[in-house]
Amino acid sequence: MSSSQQDIARKPVAVYQPFRHGLPSLREYLTSLWRRRDFVFEYARADLHQKQYGTVLGQLWLILTPLILAGIYYLLLIIIGVKGGATRFGHLTGTLFLFYLVTNSITSGAKSVTSGSKLVLNSAFPRLVLPIAETLIALMRFLPTMIVLLGIHIALGIPFTLHMLWVPVILLLVLFFALSCAIIAATVNVYFRDAQNLLPYLSRTLLYLSPVLYTSAMLDERLNFLTVINPLFPLLDSWSAIMIEGRAPLMSDLLLGLGWTLALFSLGSYIFLTREREFAVRI
Amino acid sequence: MSSLSASKTSRTRESAVSIKSLVLVYKTTLDRRPTLRNRLGRLARRQRQTRIVHAVRDLTLDIPYGQVTGIIGSNGAGKSTLMRVISGILPPTSGRVEVFGKVSTLLSLGVGFNNKLTGRENVYLGGLAAGMSRDQIDEKFDSIVEFSGLDEVIDAPMRTYSSGMQSRLAFSVAASLDPDILIIDEALSTGDARFKVKSIERIRQMKGDDRALIVVSHALKVLREICDEVIWMDKGRMVKRGDPFEVIKAYRNFSQVGSSPETDEDF
Repeated sequence: MSSSQQDIARKPVAVYQPFRHGLPSLREYLTSLWRRRDFVFEYARADLHQKQYGTVLGQLWLILTPLILAGIYYLLLIIIGVKGGATRFGHLTGTLFLFYLVTNSITSGAKSVTSGSKLVLNSAFPRLVLPIAETLIALMRFLPTMIVLLGIHIALGIPFTLHMLWVPVILLLVLFFALSCAIIAATVNVYFRDAQNLLPYLSRTLLYLSPVLYTSAMLDERLNFLTVINPLFPLLDSWSAIMIEGRAPLMSDLLLGLGWTLALFSLGSYIFLTREREFAVRI
Repeated sequence: MSSLSASKTSRTRESAVSIKSLVLVYKTTLDRRPTLRNRLGRLARRQRQTRIVHAVRDLTLDIPYGQVTGIIGSNGAGKSTLMRVISGILPPTSGRVEVFGKVSTLLSLGVGFNNKLTGRENVYLGGLAAGMSRDQIDEKFDSIVEFSGLDEVIDAPMRTYSSGMQSRLAFSVAASLDPDILIIDEALSTGDARFKVKSIERIRQMKGDDRALIVVSHALKVLREICDEVIWMDKGRMVKRGDPFEVIKAYRNFSQVGSSPETDEDF
């Protein structure tokens, strides 16, 4: 072998050097993440298939479960003397379904790294694919419920206007918010396994602080700060505006939602990416 | 596989993995299951929260192509950690590791990270996570299943597999992915006799194909049979390296155990 041939042969395929604290090379990370996109889809498909959501009956349950829940909350509202009606039920159902997209993503995202421990210990891959896959599963479980939401939209006699174009925008923002929370929860759960015990309480609190059982118009003026400190508030408010009231969302709500989502996503991915290299010795 | 590598220039004796002054130190919790409750408890009692593990201490090592390299040592010697560094799962604390080829790993936990999913789904997910494309896995899938002999149960959930079946599938995946470097870490201990013979044959064949094989095991007899060289590690350092017979003998003298069914144990 000539020396030049030898040089080519001697070029290492991979070099592993000490990792200094901070972020990995984002370009490399994103390339590597993009290469795993099939993993994310296959993971979601296999998970939904295993839980039988691929069948008609399974999909029916995906719709029925949140619908029953919405019915129970509606009953509660009537009992405590809130004025009922189709719009009230529509608002409750529409926002509750979207709210469950977020909490489903957080709950399963929290366990994504620890329950994927075999994979984490055995293969080198960007760990972010795990919470991303769980958020995708939450989205896939949410999508069939859109049929109910469209049914309500029609039943309330709200015309299909250009405002409906905001639906994918809000959904995207909510999805990124859900992913950000899932990423943070997944990191925390690696270090504190009992943290997931707190999740049901946190999600219940978030539900009561969000405009699901009430609308933002019903909020006492003294509690107006809730609309700013809860990232989900402006997003759910906008969602209800489009789906139930048939109007365009407030620009202030959209900007606030966008700001919160960007901030949480940056914070979540920073924490995750700076920590993920030691996940293998922590799980 | 043989015909493919026959066309390549021989790379026997060329370095497959080159490790220079590798140190790996990590922090881990003292509790088996880290929880907020324990953490606060320790904080209140002013106890230490974490312990420092010196898994690998200043290791310089070259592993060449065209041979089977065995790695032995007592529990906690740093063998598995070293394999994870070579696979890119753990970053070194200091030093440098260069890998001159595609690595396929069969680390101690084997394939199948989710027992509720089927064997097929686990094979695909494992391959996709390792960075392969769906087409590449499609191409190898039939030969993986054929080698494992699990064609009847491949679409059953992995939880229905016996541990032997799981390790058969794991070996088949790792050996069929056409790696330049194959790392096997204690993953074959539960296959049946027939499969053991088959996998040893495959290891020999891969060695003939000019690949590099690194086998971590406590099955000293098998290592003596299949390895060209054995490395003995203790407390993160390399104690001895060389002829399998010599190194295993030295290790046995050190551990004060002779040849017995327990130390020869099956692969």
